[in-house]
Amino acid sequence: MGVQSQKQTKANPSATAEEVLFAQYQPHPTAWDELFQLPGCPHAHCQTLVDRLGQLGVGDFLERRIGADLVFVNQGITFSVYSDRRGVEKIFPFDLIPRPVAAAEWDVLERGLRQRIQALNLFLHDIYHDQKILRDQVIPADLALQSKGFRREMIGFDPPGGQYIHVVGTDLVRDEHGQFLVLEDNGRTPSGVSYVLENRAVMKRVFPNLFQHCRVRRVEDYPQRLREALLSVAPRSNGDSPCIVLLSPGPYNSAYFEHSYLARRMGIELVLGQDLFVHDDRVYLKTTRGPQRVDVIYRRLDDDFLDPTVFRPDSLLGVPHLFRAYRAGNVTLANAVGTGIADDKAIYPFVEDMIRYYLSEEPLLRNVPTYICARENDRRYTLENLDKLVVKAVNESGGYGMLMGPSATSAMLDEFRCKILAHPRNYIAQPIVTLSTCPTWTDEGLAPRHVDLRPYIVSGKSIWVLPGGLTRTALVKGSLVVNSSQGGGSKDTWVVENGG
Amino acid sequence: MISRVAEHCFWMSRYLERAENTARILEVNQTLLLDFQVPQEQQWRPLLIISGIHDFPYHNDGEKVQEHLTWDASNPCSIWSSLQMARENGRIIREVISVDMWERLNHYYLWIQSPAARSRYQHNRSEFYSQIKRINQLLHGITDSTMSHGEAWDFLQLGRYLERASQTARILDVKYHMLVPTPSHLGAQIDTAHWAAILLSCSGYEPYHKQRAHVDPEIGVPDFLVFDPLFPRSVRRCLLECQKAAHNISGRPLSQPENEAERALHSLVGWLHLVQIEDFLRAGLHEALTDVVNRIHDIGDAIMRTYFDVQFQTPAIKSPAG
Repeated sequence: MGVQSQKQTKANPSATAEEVLFAQYQPHPTAWDELFQLPGCPHAHCQTLVDRLGQLGVGDFLERRIGADLVFVNQGITFSVYSDRRGVEKIFPFDLIPRPVAAAEWDVLERGLRQRIQALNLFLHDIYHDQKILRDQVIPADLALQSKGFRREMIGFDPPGGQYIHVVGTDLVRDEHGQFLVLEDNGRTPSGVSYVLENRAVMKRVFPNLFQHCRVRRVEDYPQRLREALLSVAPRSNGDSPCIVLLSPGPYNSAYFEHSYLARRMGIELVLGQDLFVHDDRVYLKTTRGPQRVDVIYRRLDDDFLDPTVFRPDSLLGVPHLFRAYRAGNVTLANAVGTGIADDKAIYPFVEDMIRYYLSEEPLLRNVPTYICARENDRRYTLENLDKLVVKAVNESGGYGMLMGPSATSAMLDEFRCKILAHPRNYIAQPIVTLSTCPTWTDEGLAPRHVDLRPYIVSGKSIWVLPGGLTRTALVKGSLVVNSSQGGGSKDTWVVENGG
Repeated sequence: MISRVAEHCFWMSRYLERAENTARILEVNQTLLLDFQVPQEQQWRPLLIISGIHDFPYHNDGEKVQEHLTWDASNPCSIWSSLQMARENGRIIREVISVDMWERLNHYYLWIQSPAARSRYQHNRSEFYSQIKRINQLLHGITDSTMSHGEAWDFLQLGRYLERASQTARILDVKYHMLVPTPSHLGAQIDTAHWAAILLSCSGYEPYHKQRAHVDPEIGVPDFLVFDPLFPRSVRRCLLECQKAAHNISGRPLSQPENEAERALHSLVGWLHLVQIEDFLRAGLHEALTDVVNRIHDIGDAIMRTYFDVQFQTPAIKSPAG
């Protein structure tokens, strides 16, 4: 068969089919466990979940696991290797043990996330207008203005609705003390939300009873919320209902499934660059009945590819003169052009300061301490402690361009040393956070695997936070890299009401 | 709707219909060969010819021809390629087709790639081809009952019936290419069997015999498969369905064709209304059918220019219509 479902794993020889699920589970020695306070003793908000799932035999669990994989295969929620014509299609590994978050804890996170997106939007407005934050020397001007994500074409321009970041996916991790920390903000075109929705749908299919007993907050409203947010920032107010489209790079993009999923759920058209054209600074859709005006473009295309007449001239994915129409105020782009500066990992260390500067509030969410290699002291520290740190390229995402010091070979360390010295502005370093773990099904039965959490925040006229988010999980023992592009899997995230 | 999306709809159903008809052609040939001694070199070659394949080196080898028309990924007309292309078009417009359609389409796409499909082909070929036919029939049914009958659906109809019109004409033409040596005392019997096989491959055996059992099949069968106004696989009926879909899209009455696609359809339908099977036979059935197939091809081009490949970069776009 052309599709491989997850490798059928054998349970630990000692774990028989009759044995109940959590019987053999040993939490990680140092990391925070998302389910268990101590071996055999779940957190209060996980009690019902552990009680219920704990009644399952391993055999029953494995059967449901195959069932879940089949749902993904049959719905074609797969990615394929296109190097081969009959390329094998694979599903993104999905782990059936949910990752719970207590409602009370979530409410704090949610407030922290709201605070963060507000500050980021104010920062973007400032940086493209008066640059007060630079003049007040809260952020070094050269660091900000050298960012690859800074688009001088945006200077002095007010995007429709005043919003820059309409959707952000903020990556959170939990350290060994149980404290959530922000690892990065994805303010360009964050992906993965379709997996949140699909994972939940599959869980409800596979464990219907579980949801009757555990009170889990709904995630299913996301597409409507996003649609409302986009409508609220449409440029026209002439009575017609605004036309929203989702602009995708096309069917060969690995996130195409997500693009078509969201378009379907939002009830909007999925378009490619070739479906749009600009005339008289207005954007039109090529339809079978002639041109149709477009008001809002939810674009899943990076700035670079949006408009070959302004950005990369070799882009075939974009729409010529789109940026002119945008500057004329005739179309909303979500997210706005130029939000990449807020994604820059060398700007990220200043988000806490932005919150204090723009909102006069103390940040509710903390950053991971970060060394900015562009600064001499930070660079020296980084180079001296390379084997203890994680080094990241400032404009990369998806786990690319990254060095995990402790597990790196000396050749890799040398390579990064050279890279940092050659382009210090391109790198930051952080101490290694022992990410929290969650019980995950593996070749050895249930075992702790490191996880992170990406909540999605939607911002139009008001802000809405999806309860939960995407929990990504490393599948390799001890690995701290959870990105799907690096072989990670995902889990359903549960915001569990008090009393579980 | 978006021109590109309309084009994917059109081709998705075209490819599904093509897979079904390729299976029908392969099946009818198999049936014929069971009953008659046909010289090796004439057994399978006609199928290649009507599929427009003239350079296949193993045209005398029945297994290889079937393999080529069924499984060969490098042959864009093979059943495998057709299902692959149907699924790829469907994948691109998942947000347009219904969830049920997508899940079934994907299911059959996975099936054709599975060892189970191969094994069915090896061990029970006729059941394999029946299964291929059922794929399109099931999907057609699911489409009809789960998707809004709006513009996207009209484009699916347009693709399906245009492909079917062309395929029926080709199936009918198999007869021409199958130059069976006919000893005079067997001629009539062989002819009858050929016509019966062609009717069967179009699911037309029973409908035909209910109406025209008394007619000479030499005239009756082509007449039925080209001109019958009610039979859903006749060329005329398929073109009428195309016309209906095109006018649903534009919202104009059938009597007022305006765009190029509507005019091309109107002209071929009108011509089929004027001529009769006797005219076809006088001109030579093969020649007449070739002409029909070419005109259907031209309609495809007209559809392309009318809906999919429109030049929009004109200044006269002040009043966009919805």
